[in-house]
Amino acid sequence: MRDNGKFFVGLGGVALVVTYLIWTGVSDTMLYYLTPVELMARVAEDPTFYDVGVKVSGRVEVGSWTRAEDELLHQFTVVDLQDKSVRFPVEFRDMLPDTFNDTDIVDVVVEGRFREDGVFEATVVLAKCGSRYEATAEELLG
Amino acid sequence: MILLGELALWIALPIGIWGAVAGFVGGRKGRGDLVLSAEYSVYAVFFLLILTSAGIITAFLTDQFQYWYVANYSNRELPTFYKVSGLWAGQRGSLVLWALLLSLFSSAAVFTNRTKNREFVPYMVGVLLTVSSFFLVVLLFADVNPFERLPFAPADGRGLNPQLQNYWMTIHPPTLYLGFTAFTVPFAFAMSALLSGKLDARWIVITRRWILLSWFFLANGIIFGMRWAYEMLGWGGFWFWDPVENASLLPWLTATAFLHSIQIQENRGMLKVWNMGLVTLTFLLTIFATFLTRSGLIESVHTFAENTTIAFIFLAFMGILAGISVLLIAWRYPMLKSENQIHSFLSRESAFLFNNLILLGATFTILWGVLFPLITEGITGQAMTVGPPFFERVNLPIGLALLALMGIGPVIAWRKASRRNLIKNFTTPVAVGAVVVAGLYLRGVHHGMALVTFGLSAFVMTIIIVEFVKGTKARASIEGEGHPLAFFHLVSRNRRRWGGYIVHVGVVMVFTAFAGAAFDREVVQTLDPGETVSIESPFGHEYMLTYQGLSTPRGQNMVRQAVALMTVEKDGRPIGSLTAEKQLFRMWEQSPLTVVGIRQTLMEDLYLILENVNDLGGAFENEAQAQRATFEVQVNVMVEWIWYGGFIVTLGSIIGLWPSRGSTTTTASRPQTGGKRPALAARS
Repeated sequence: MRDNGKFFVGLGGVALVVTYLIWTGVSDTMLYYLTPVELMARVAEDPTFYDVGVKVSGRVEVGSWTRAEDELLHQFTVVDLQDKSVRFPVEFRDMLPDTFNDTDIVDVVVEGRFREDGVFEATVVLAKCGSRYEATAEELLG
Repeated sequence: MILLGELALWIALPIGIWGAVAGFVGGRKGRGDLVLSAEYSVYAVFFLLILTSAGIITAFLTDQFQYWYVANYSNRELPTFYKVSGLWAGQRGSLVLWALLLSLFSSAAVFTNRTKNREFVPYMVGVLLTVSSFFLVVLLFADVNPFERLPFAPADGRGLNPQLQNYWMTIHPPTLYLGFTAFTVPFAFAMSALLSGKLDARWIVITRRWILLSWFFLANGIIFGMRWAYEMLGWGGFWFWDPVENASLLPWLTATAFLHSIQIQENRGMLKVWNMGLVTLTFLLTIFATFLTRSGLIESVHTFAENTTIAFIFLAFMGILAGISVLLIAWRYPMLKSENQIHSFLSRESAFLFNNLILLGATFTILWGVLFPLITEGITGQAMTVGPPFFERVNLPIGLALLALMGIGPVIAWRKASRRNLIKNFTTPVAVGAVVVAGLYLRGVHHGMALVTFGLSAFVMTIIIVEFVKGTKARASIEGEGHPLAFFHLVSRNRRRWGGYIVHVGVVMVFTAFAGAAFDREVVQTLDPGETVSIESPFGHEYMLTYQGLSTPRGQNMVRQAVALMTVEKDGRPIGSLTAEKQLFRMWEQSPLTVVGIRQTLMEDLYLILENVNDLGGAFENEAQAQRATFEVQVNVMVEWIWYGGFIVTLGSIIGLWPSRGSTTTTASRPQTGGKRPALAARS
């Protein structure tokens, strides 16, 4: 067989395997990435959405964070970045990242399931200070 | 000094552009004077960027908070160490560091080739200065000038994010950047080879050490980042598959592929187009990683809206470079014909080829995962994401295939392996692998993927050990040397080969450590002083941790810290104590930093996290009842193997990089003057 022939057989074989891995991997693990407003619209439209894993980005409502005594249960409220009237409570049973708090402007990405009782059961919480660790001139002045 | 630094940045740009043009024109027209001018431009840009960096560091050291960058990444109380490293604490300074390191390597490349390989030099200088100039343009015109002034001078800066106040985090970015920038040199040589039509394996032989140097820095940069995550992020993990980590892994994967595929070109005159493609791809991925780590493009898709102009400038630059490279390769395609063919799938070249294809497969899957939100949003208008489960699922089989090839590749014959070659080389290693799997299974290890990993690791390790033993014995009997001396000579006579094997040993250890993570354990418990939490390790050890209470000393640059002390017993015997902390930094009072306590041993780490102090404010007031706290205790299996593996990778790379005395390679270096620059960097 010619060099190129073998080369392309190998390339094709590996490409097929990789495509298969990506395909099955993606279809089994992918999550919708939504804003709270989009999430509300989705569940209103299609109730089966309550069972689907989703990732939602929003902002932690100031003063909404409570922590159950003696067990790892954090509760806080996430608000939509644009429409402040859209919000939902979140429950999270693990350690929150250090960047999480409810006194600053903290943007979060929560991953998990939006339950039918209107509570978001998070399995992953990522938190980030609103301004990428950088302050604006006004903040520095204050 | 600061103004001088700013001025130097402005002067560097026209010099860089001039040098790039002079390099290309000088090369095209064969004008020696222009080429010389271009070479001096490389040195000049390096010198000017030293001034720029010194200016920024001076601004940090003298608390010049009227500069936006200093105000955002420093404060008066910040330890000096972190003021100096403020140069690369944020995006703006990082771009300066990138340009500085690139100009350092450019100067080293020009200097080491000042009397040889002259036909490559003009275009190489042109390419290097083009890349430098691009970074200078970004710095000066893309709203990321590190010398930007605020309309007023704040009394104090905002301070460095406490999570970045860590030794590993200080050396992690520059190490990665060293890897990224060093790779620009092989890329520049490759482009120069295309432009000048000198398309034999010369450019590869010249840049071999640069490639290895870059690979070495990338590997270490990635491992330092893992170490930072493990010690600093306080989750007990070392890799989270986030876009930034993934971005730094991508060029390492393709550089690994390239390190192997160039050996086929050198030995068999094959894969010439492939190698040109790989060197370009790796270079583009270093640029991609640079801008992704500091621009937040991926996250910004949905929420963290940032200044995305810089992302598009970078994308445009990458697009243009990719286009030019493809055109150049297409233009020279007739000269890049393969001199040989693959005769059999059972051959070393085919093992290397599969190694390459699989590494590229891994690169593609990770890139796909990183870009998935962008792709889906672009196509369907609805962003979808994939996370760690995706990356783990897809990369596990890929990683195992690579591990197997790491054993097969080095000992299978070139061209076509005979049945004898296969039996001779693989019987023992396969047997050892099988024995390890059976032994572990009988000892109660039933995790399938972990067993496969351990078995393959044993297989590869056996192959490497057998190779060393055979080589040493052969040399000992031929030369009549003692075994230690024979071993030393064996390695030093073919450093590339044996250094490579040593690198493989390190990589196998890292793989083994990944499999060990399947056995990690954790418990969470809330304790009052005097109470005990216990955890059993997978090796059957019983750890008992007794909470002794909180103390609240004040550390440098901190408002307060709460230190929880635990005494630790292992299997009933006291083995000392561990502390875990919450630190409250000035300007960062909202987010206490979690500092973990780790008791490191070869097989298992005891990892203590102070998850929460029920009443942190009260604890700081030393109220007796405010001592109740929640802890997470983990036993993390074989994490140390990653760090030791990293050390062995470093050792092997240094052996491979070490300049050889009187070797036969065409790049054998003449004695160099001056010992100021690192010896490794100065020679190519």
